[in-house]
Amino acid sequence: MWGMTSGALTRLGYPIVEHTLENGLRVISSPDHIAPSVAVNIWYDVGSRDEEQGRTGFAHLFEHVMFQGSAHVASGQHIALLQAAGAVVNATTWFDRTNYFETLPTGGLDLALWLEADRMATLLDALTQENLDNQREVVKEEKRQRYDNVPYGDVMELLNTLTFPPDHPYGHTTIGSMEDLDAATLEDVHSFFRRHYVPNNAVLSIVGDVEPEDAFERADIYFGYLQAGTKSPKPDAGPLEPLVGTPRTETSDKVPAEAVYFSWRLPARGGSDFDALDLVFSILGHGQTSRLYKQLVRGTEHAEGTSASTMGLIGGNSFGFSYARARDGISPEQLEEEMAELIAQLLSDGPTEEELRRAKAQFERHWLHELARIDSRADVLGEYATLHGDPQLINSRIAEITAIDNDDVRRAMQEWLRPDQRATLIYRQEAS
Amino acid sequence: MRDFLPRPAIAPAVVWAFPAPQRAQLSNDIEVMIFDLPGQHVISAHLVLDLPLNAEPRDIEGVATICGRTLDEGTLRHNGEEFAELLENEGAGFGVDLSLSGAQVILDVPASHLDRALELFAEAVTEPSLADRDVNRHVQLRLAEIEQAQANPAQAASIAFRAAVFEESERAARLNGGEPETVGQVTAEAVGAFHRDHFGPAGATLILAGDFLDDPIAVAERCLGSWSNDDQRRVPIEDPTPAPRRALLIDRPGAVQADVRLGGFGIDRLDPRWSEISVASYAMGGAFLSRLNAVLREEKGYTYGVRMNFGPLRRGGSFAIQGSYRTEVVADALAITSELIKVDEVPFTSKEVSDAVAFFTGVSPLRYATAEGVADQAATQVLAGLPDDYVDRSLALLRSVTPEAATEAYRSIVRPDELTLVVVGDAERLADPIRALGFADLEVRATASFQPG
Repeated sequence: MWGMTSGALTRLGYPIVEHTLENGLRVISSPDHIAPSVAVNIWYDVGSRDEEQGRTGFAHLFEHVMFQGSAHVASGQHIALLQAAGAVVNATTWFDRTNYFETLPTGGLDLALWLEADRMATLLDALTQENLDNQREVVKEEKRQRYDNVPYGDVMELLNTLTFPPDHPYGHTTIGSMEDLDAATLEDVHSFFRRHYVPNNAVLSIVGDVEPEDAFERADIYFGYLQAGTKSPKPDAGPLEPLVGTPRTETSDKVPAEAVYFSWRLPARGGSDFDALDLVFSILGHGQTSRLYKQLVRGTEHAEGTSASTMGLIGGNSFGFSYARARDGISPEQLEEEMAELIAQLLSDGPTEEELRRAKAQFERHWLHELARIDSRADVLGEYATLHGDPQLINSRIAEITAIDNDDVRRAMQEWLRPDQRATLIYRQEAS
Repeated sequence: MRDFLPRPAIAPAVVWAFPAPQRAQLSNDIEVMIFDLPGQHVISAHLVLDLPLNAEPRDIEGVATICGRTLDEGTLRHNGEEFAELLENEGAGFGVDLSLSGAQVILDVPASHLDRALELFAEAVTEPSLADRDVNRHVQLRLAEIEQAQANPAQAASIAFRAAVFEESERAARLNGGEPETVGQVTAEAVGAFHRDHFGPAGATLILAGDFLDDPIAVAERCLGSWSNDDQRRVPIEDPTPAPRRALLIDRPGAVQADVRLGGFGIDRLDPRWSEISVASYAMGGAFLSRLNAVLREEKGYTYGVRMNFGPLRRGGSFAIQGSYRTEVVADALAITSELIKVDEVPFTSKEVSDAVAFFTGVSPLRYATAEGVADQAATQVLAGLPDDYVDRSLALLRSVTPEAATEAYRSIVRPDELTLVVVGDAERLADPIRALGFADLEVRATASFQPG
């Protein structure tokens, strides 16, 4: 079938065909007839990095408004009609993107495309103050549920603030602030829609039980009549240098365990430096054989949990994080020192060849999992087409990662992970 | 711009069937189910053990979990770090899932590494070291994990709800991973004894799904076919029974939201009403525009989402309407919920039924299109005592559900005046309004959470 295995490395050959409509909508097809289902996924090249000052959280609020109806679809009916066609439907907003997706039996493909096209064409026709206010409340409940009412729910916001300047596109979280959500107006929705929700700012992926010519023809039927818009320029952040001055902050709340977090500015995704650092973070904090787990959870038993990971972003820089949560009687400062020492050691000695091989093997499994389902494959195609301009890259990712050697890793670490290049957050228990 | 196109009709779905396994037995009678799924490069292996959680001695509940978590901390052949490294070198993921019905040991690995990874997997299952230091550490980590769960309001609500719905003497009323009083009593000796007494090939099923490079039965025979355990004891599963209804408010002073669970004792998949209640529950609280979500989220903006869930066990089960609401609207949300869940005057409609059937039918091919999805479902079926063609049969049954039958099944299970309520939120602001709604017997309990030192 699609994969051929030789030696220890799986070579991928998912068929990927691209076609651009006259209005600039990029359409990607990847046929797969394993199930009578099709995944439809639209990536709009807009995320929280595109938000204006005083409007944090707006890209995500806008995503909610997209389900409130369009000229020919009543409020809430987008999901209702698709679910009644046997679809799993959702959307997400992140720093670099907003994606909308549904996976359903192939016989519902036309309905899915029609619904997506209708809101891309006519969202504003159905927009009302009442709908906006309702979704503002829903989003505020989402913020309470996922961030404000859970232990450590403010960590992401604190790390954003520590790692990037306040006016930087990544200097605030995607969920935004209550104050800014309250300030959002109908006029904001109008202008955001016109600036970002145009066919030439989107990638439509159709993956599953449909052949490319068929997929392109249907895309043209439903989206072909839309007019291209004027794409807004991307925020010009430019790559920032690594952090300097070891910024740090402390907070306290009713949490069960104290914790220490490190964060780093990393290079933007899409280059071997980022990929090399991604392997470093895997070696540092992914799984039972990672250095943090071996040393702090198994070894000294000072931590009840550890982790390290990257968050790949496209706008000049990415994030890197690590953390350790303290066992009773261990201070966060002590953990900070131990975590810092581990990282310094990794920096001076580099990973072992075996660690590097292991990180690559774990990457391979993760990547194969990601591509195994038509819905996640459609999402990854949209991601690579939107952020890197080339969906074919998904077939060569394993080979790219495999090609990274210890020298690449050491070079990238020396540039980005020196001890004076990180920020620190100490999370304490509030005294009762 | 041309005129808009009319809304397209949906073409009929093609016939689809859950994949049929190839069955075989290893020489020690382990039942093997093979699902050959072309294109699925990550193999999913589930070893299902006949080991219900009620096999745990009452005073050391959690011992199964500690045993499960210590399996890959070293074996008689490879010490702890070495073992984990060998497994991860193969790109493998290893996990254990313990449920009331039985245990699963799970391996995910690229097909090209299956041979070696399954060998290591077998080592972990059959001859783990279960060393003192590793057991003690996992006990401490489990205790910390419980504190974290109790500090999370949604988890705290689910834990309290479970304790309130099942008869308190039964295993189902308590956390699968054990509660602090008993986890704290687990020793390496107890873990070793538990492994010796309950881990064995008798009653075990090995499920393998994916795109295999070599004959998977031969690989399974080589790795697990000679496993034996003369000491293995199989314990019959305990069927849960309902507890008396109650209303409970767990205080979380100053919380900006409250997490609410309203529900009761449910049914299992073998109950003749299962397909009917699945449809009814979807219409009430499963669909995006379900009766509950349409009002509480889309009309009122009170919540990010409210759902009704049925959680079937091997026998019996539970159900709950669950959501979280900002503190100032909790009482109103509960009042609205109490009205919406009554169906006497507003029975389920044929549109609601056909939408539910279309949804369940439509999502199945995708859900079971991956090795992981197929192996998960097959394991669920083994644990619940269901036939290999259960998915196909249950979809056929769903298609025969009528609005009358869905309404009748719902009314027989969901009795609005007899539901158990659990709220985790700010008691000072919530207790009186909730009592005023008719929950006069509301008990208020101090937070179950940790006390910061």
